[in-house]
Amino acid sequence: MTTTWKHQNQLHKDSGHELLTLTANRRGKLTSVWLDPDDHRQSFLDLDLVDGSFPSLAASLPETAWDEREIHDLFGYIPLGHPDPRPLIRTPRWPKDFLPLRSAQLSPGWLEVEPDLPALQVEGDGVTIMKVGPTHAGIIESGHFVFSIIGENVLHLDAHLFQNHRGIEALLEGKTVGEVSPLVTRICAADSVSNQTNWASAVEQLAGFIPSERLLLNRIILLEAERVLSHLNDLAQIPAGVGYQVAHQRALAMKELWQRGLQSLFGHRFLFETVHPGSAVSAPADAVSEIVHAVRRHWVPWRQVVMGHHGFTNRMRGVGTTPLDQVIRMGAQGVTSRAAGKEFDARQSIPWYGEVFEGPVIRTSGDVLARFELRLDEVEASLRIIEKAARMTYKTPFQDQPFTVPEDIDGRAVAFSESPHGLNVHDVSLSQGRVSRYHVRAATYRNWPLVAQTVAGNAVADFPLINKSFELCYSCTDR
Amino acid sequence: MSKPVRSLQIRHVDAGSCNGCEQELTALTGRDYDMQRYGLDIVASPRHADAMLVTGPVTDTMARSVERVWQAISVPKIRIAFGDCAAGCGFSQDSYASHGGLNDPDLTIAGCPPEPGKALSLLRAWMASHDTHGMTSVEVESNSKKIG
Repeated sequence: MTTTWKHQNQLHKDSGHELLTLTANRRGKLTSVWLDPDDHRQSFLDLDLVDGSFPSLAASLPETAWDEREIHDLFGYIPLGHPDPRPLIRTPRWPKDFLPLRSAQLSPGWLEVEPDLPALQVEGDGVTIMKVGPTHAGIIESGHFVFSIIGENVLHLDAHLFQNHRGIEALLEGKTVGEVSPLVTRICAADSVSNQTNWASAVEQLAGFIPSERLLLNRIILLEAERVLSHLNDLAQIPAGVGYQVAHQRALAMKELWQRGLQSLFGHRFLFETVHPGSAVSAPADAVSEIVHAVRRHWVPWRQVVMGHHGFTNRMRGVGTTPLDQVIRMGAQGVTSRAAGKEFDARQSIPWYGEVFEGPVIRTSGDVLARFELRLDEVEASLRIIEKAARMTYKTPFQDQPFTVPEDIDGRAVAFSESPHGLNVHDVSLSQGRVSRYHVRAATYRNWPLVAQTVAGNAVADFPLINKSFELCYSCTDR
Repeated sequence: MSKPVRSLQIRHVDAGSCNGCEQELTALTGRDYDMQRYGLDIVASPRHADAMLVTGPVTDTMARSVERVWQAISVPKIRIAFGDCAAGCGFSQDSYASHGGLNDPDLTIAGCPPEPGKALSLLRAWMASHDTHGMTSVEVESNSKKIG
């Protein structure tokens, strides 16, 4: 059993499959779900716990290291042979017997101690420990970073995230189908539509509902509008990381223009609660084209100015490089992985994107510049997709049948989409119309460990730039 | 002889936000809203701040950091709850990891997330209707104990 578990998971990895989720349930079962990028099929691998423990995969499949630590923190199941079994989410303030996903206990009674966890540090002559966070000197989400540095050079970064852990997965348990949307939409403001779409797809799969072509086109428009929004934000932040204020301010202004367009067309500046099971907010195709044109007018000259600034492009070149083999080993996703040359974009594996998706944008140098340029190209591709999908909605008939959720809806579905940050997965179990388990695996969760590895070997002053080039949100990782 | 508050320097603390409030706060520093022209700004250190602005429902892990930032700001100072989560009416109030928002805010800016134009008018209205002495109050001492 044990050897089969390890062997089977390794086999999927070796044949180029993507790990969708690895999680547990309170009945003592572990499941990993793999996606075959060629035939888009999902394989489910199960393992029953023996004496409350399971064999760790982390030594040979490092991308599972965090998942296994999380399972230990929230369920209490022990990963045997894990190379780094420190707590990931739970802090010393959690009572020992408090296992939020195993028992339905809601107020644990925190212990009166500091929440900090021991950090991995380098020791030796000339090594300095520099701690940053959890609060930061700007408008940034909270995270605690422990740098081991020698002079200007980073030897090791131990990133302690989960400062923003809100316990969303436990909060979702027991909710009726109608109560889930407002929560799922707020897991992360940057990936909201992607999260909403995953929830809607999961419910529709379990209810046996086939969404109409028009509904799917409207979802594509929203998903791509979110990608443009998030990429514009990141493209504004990267120049800010090196003090290039003009590029920063002009990009922020474009983002504001885009958000005002989204507000007027879809009713929300971040597209919260625009996708629900059986429906999606829509806008007339002409109006959609108009906001696309409005942004393009500013976009084209901005791109020219920014990419023509040799001081800026040189600053990004060769900094924060992630080699392709490491990207693949760590299971990195999204911009991070494509900038290093990995040809995977979840939109390839979503049949309803069809021909509107032009194929993944790829760069190969894996540095800050590659991630910046990749976003530039993806914004332009997304704007084209939005226009194309909007035009197609004219040709598709209104055929949206009203969708009512069956009261006794039951079963498990794994739904995914390509969020602005990459492969975003929801593993949803419903039982008698209520959520019995809800697991969210955001792309940023796969990418954070890589950020820490990438920073080592660079200068301390490069960290803000490198971090901003990944621009990983903390909230969907922390949940 | 009261003088309206002409300058409010803000230290931002994320205590479990979804990043929506952060993005709208950043928008306030952009040229469309340009909060600096009204004497408002985000500062890097609590030592430079007049206000602590908290987003998120105050997660247990962040509760002590929020308290520490508050302690590090010199008087007079105020507490701002930015967004529904910090205001105590967000979606994750009932979770095990949440402390249910910021206690005793002097100013609450509701919204999920607050629309930047609205947030800016609320901040300006607060400044216009308070005097520099009014920011200092004997309640500061008791306020500081209520987090967590």
